[in-house]
Amino acid sequence: MSEKSYRDAIREAMIEEMDRDATVLIMGEDIGVYEGTFRITAGMLKKYGPKRVIDTPIAEAGMAGTAVGMAMLGLRPIVEMMTMNFAFVAADQILNHAAKVRYFSGGQVDVPVVIRGPQGAGVQLSAQHSQTFESFYGHFPGLTVAAPATPADAKGLLKSALRGRDPVIFLESAALYGMKGEVPDDSDFTVPFGESRVARDGNDVTIVSYSRMLQVSLTAAERMSKEEGIECEVIDLRTLRPLDLVPAYASVAKTHRCVVVQEQWKPFGAAAEIAASITENVFDDLDAPVERVAGEDVPMPYARNLELLATPHEEQVINAVKRVMYKS
Amino acid sequence: MAEIIMPKMGDAMTEGKVVRWYKKPGEAVKKGEPVLEIETDKVNLDLEAEQDGTIAEVAAQEGQVIPVGGRLAMISAPGEKPAGVGPRPSAATAAEGGGATQKIAAEGGGATQGGGAAQQRRVTDKKDSIKHTTGEYAEAIEMKAPRIDRTAPVSAPLRVVEGGRRRSSPLARKMAREMGVSLDAIEGSGPSGRIIAKDVKAVEGSRPRLPGQPGAPVLHEQQIPLSAMRRTIAKRLAESTGPIPHFYLTADYDVTNLMSLRQQMNEIVKISVNDFVIKAAALALRHHPNVNASWGDEAITQHGEIHIGVAVSTPEGLITPVVRNADQKSVADIAAEVRALAEKVKNRKLRPEEYQGSTFTISNLGAWGIEEFTAIINPPNVAILAIGTAAPQPVVVDRQIVVRDRMKVTMSCDHRVVDGAAGAEYLRTLRQYLEQPVRLIL
Repeated sequence: MSEKSYRDAIREAMIEEMDRDATVLIMGEDIGVYEGTFRITAGMLKKYGPKRVIDTPIAEAGMAGTAVGMAMLGLRPIVEMMTMNFAFVAADQILNHAAKVRYFSGGQVDVPVVIRGPQGAGVQLSAQHSQTFESFYGHFPGLTVAAPATPADAKGLLKSALRGRDPVIFLESAALYGMKGEVPDDSDFTVPFGESRVARDGNDVTIVSYSRMLQVSLTAAERMSKEEGIECEVIDLRTLRPLDLVPAYASVAKTHRCVVVQEQWKPFGAAAEIAASITENVFDDLDAPVERVAGEDVPMPYARNLELLATPHEEQVINAVKRVMYKS
Repeated sequence: MAEIIMPKMGDAMTEGKVVRWYKKPGEAVKKGEPVLEIETDKVNLDLEAEQDGTIAEVAAQEGQVIPVGGRLAMISAPGEKPAGVGPRPSAATAAEGGGATQKIAAEGGGATQGGGAAQQRRVTDKKDSIKHTTGEYAEAIEMKAPRIDRTAPVSAPLRVVEGGRRRSSPLARKMAREMGVSLDAIEGSGPSGRIIAKDVKAVEGSRPRLPGQPGAPVLHEQQIPLSAMRRTIAKRLAESTGPIPHFYLTADYDVTNLMSLRQQMNEIVKISVNDFVIKAAALALRHHPNVNASWGDEAITQHGEIHIGVAVSTPEGLITPVVRNADQKSVADIAAEVRALAEKVKNRKLRPEEYQGSTFTISNLGAWGIEEFTAIINPPNVAILAIGTAAPQPVVVDRQIVVRDRMKVTMSCDHRVVDGAAGAEYLRTLRQYLEQPVRLIL
């Protein structure tokens, strides 16, 4: 184990896999000479040269389409979206091609492309560049959607993506790039898709979350423990598709209360899917309605104070926990 | 402005008649004061004002029939202008939609209203109620607190005023089921009076011990899944004799001791033979939970409590007010309760909760001199007792002809649930109670 930032964990995963497998390559805007807007690809052009670290024009549809073609013919391309918000332009390539080629080819052709990049609020990028996409991509069969909350998971999940057969949407939290955490040193360390984990044990309330909101949930859980003696069990989903809710069901069967936390807009969000599944599967164990904590239903403001107000914070998680415990 | 609507007093009720107005437009009313009397197919009852105020509008005439959910009157709050009554909202929709009509009132009014009377609103279902209030609550919170928590569910501040079912969390229901506790007896501490796990646990801790009845077991509600054999029996019997396959068992009881006990007790308090029969039947049910049951397509429900329906005839027909937990009440209490219920039946004042929820029924035609008869089961009960007249008869005791008081009881059983031997066993237990009536007052 050694302590690494979320940013370095992602970079390390790519480097280890490019060393291990000559078919892995990366393309994107400003990733080579400029070394990436978020410095994820620092030093990689020098190390692997312009054939494997490809600076592209500002043309997301072209990048994604090229990558789909490369993947169909045996390469393992990574597409770095400068932010995942830009991938809207490439939506047809991702949703109608990457996600469906295996199906249309009767299972003959895989598309092992990884489309990765930062998403989410917290870094003052305003309304067009602060969105989250897990519910959007999580809706489509044929895709895998990862949303790591820790440096170790960022590395382990990205390595799984680069060794698997599926098109993977790899959603990095822009606000977590600087976060540090212990990461295993083993170069074969991977985290499988579809395996949620219990990030914190507790008996009173179950909090289900992922990505940056997992960290907010953990902070809230620590405060609840200290201030109120309420012990929250926190479940980290890690991947939204496949979605493993079995640990959440087991936890709710124990705590009888559940709060689901997501960063962005409540309507049709991931929390709705999660809450509904919990109600379907462990209805008789619930002593209160499943609560959702979500961001404000507005385009993300640029101003720092407003951005903070529009994003879920630990206070809201604590309030929701109190509500499901009938303590407010 | 608060609205009084035609309430839904039972599943079958679609409309009600305005009998008389106690209040006229412009007249002041106090919260809890009767405003008008209505008549349903079962009862007459008074509708009360839910707040202080003035009658702003009377929307129906005496004798007029109004659909469930339809407006009857508007009450304006003190200081509120009685004018400006809007168009009648969705009364027809409420009745046609068939959804449970509920009245909800906003709580925590301080934030939403300027200290006025609680604003009331009628909605056709829960979804509507949320839709109606989202905006208001969001705004209210905005005014009150700089930090807006829009993720808070808006259902929390809503409170059912009338016509709603009892709310309970799934976990509370599961616990109550497993503990054999009836939710009816539990006060909910959650929002909208929701019964939550904590409330069920509290009841478990302080559960009243049943009065000492020697040898009478404690009951628990339980579901007995239908076995293939039970399903087949049910299907075949139902095919042969209609939805409820009845069969009948008649027993002839010696009630000499019962009659003499009654005579003694009557010197203190008036008790009818039927009151003893109610107590005896209820106690006997404790030994035979399979008779205190209901049929369902997936399972037979054995009830955790014993509620005896008592058939009372009226000129319009028959109604069965219910003596709840009759096994736990004294014969004198049962007598008083039955008298009070019969009085209400006569005045058509019986409320739905007073004639719904029986687990077993007794019909007694003894007063008419009927020696024996068969009664039709009152679903969802699975048995009914038809009680004949208690009369002196010559019987043979120790090879001597003596005169004893005899009473014939015929039990109608739902064969899907109660088999012949089970019914016979119940009647045998009933015999012990009726022939040794001291057991009824122990």
